[in-house]
Amino acid sequence: MTPFLVWSATAVAVLVALAGLASTLARRRIGLLHLAGAAVLEVLLVVQAVVAGAALAGGQRPPETATFVGYLAGVVLLPVAGVLWSRTEPSRWAGTVLAVASLVTAVMVWRLVQLWEAPGA
Amino acid sequence: MPEPAGTRPGGTAAGPGRVLVAVYAVFALAAGARAAVQLATRFDEAPVAYLLSALAAVVYVVATVGLARGGRGGRRTALVACSVELAGVLVVGTLSLLDPAAFPDETVWSAFGRGYGFVPLVLPVLGLLWLRHQAEVAAGQEAAGEEAAGEEAAGTAPEDGPGRA
Repeated sequence: MTPFLVWSATAVAVLVALAGLASTLARRRIGLLHLAGAAVLEVLLVVQAVVAGAALAGGQRPPETATFVGYLAGVVLLPVAGVLWSRTEPSRWAGTVLAVASLVTAVMVWRLVQLWEAPGA
Repeated sequence: MPEPAGTRPGGTAAGPGRVLVAVYAVFALAAGARAAVQLATRFDEAPVAYLLSALAAVVYVVATVGLARGGRGGRRTALVACSVELAGVLVVGTLSLLDPAAFPDETVWSAFGRGYGFVPLVLPVLGLLWLRHQAEVAAGQEAAGEEAAGEEAAGTAPEDGPGRA
């Protein structure tokens, strides 16, 4: 869990969430900006999953390995699910759907950090 | 892209409802995964708390499905699930504060969902309000439909009325 990846993923997730909420407030649908932001977030998460996977393969084990792997896999799917679910919404609420997915992603990233740094490893 | 006017589909999974379904789906997954891990790895430590986690997960799954499907049946399913959810978070939240020894490990509903930013406490209220609104919309549409059908039978229906292809 490198601090750079964690912080940049958090920052991008918050930006996507703000852009989503802004489009809801402006009564607009989501646009290219939102999709690009979600794509950047997804790339960061995939890189993080590879880094963490390599560390796991290298013998590092967080105390709750099963939970950690579950979060690691789940967090990669979240932005994709958020984009798909918001793309099927033709109204301004699409942005809020994407914002929810992004914020949950940010929370899950920090939960991953917690699990990784938990004592007893 | 501006929001297209007048093309918004109704139903429990459209508009704000889509946000609600998204949040419910997240909680269904979170509670389900948590319960699965707890039950599989350390059931003996706190069976009551872990079974409650599993119950919460089931309630969230049912509510998600009910809201996503919509219609009369979906609304009824979601209504039951949201009611159970509200009762659950209130009862478990109160008990977990009064008698912490009975809940040695956290559940989604412990301390009114404090571990999840109190979203578990707010979510069923929003769900019930949304379902009430949707029931009113559906009742309004039904009444309008009957009215239009009556007018049509009397030969006075407007050209663009519902039921005319």
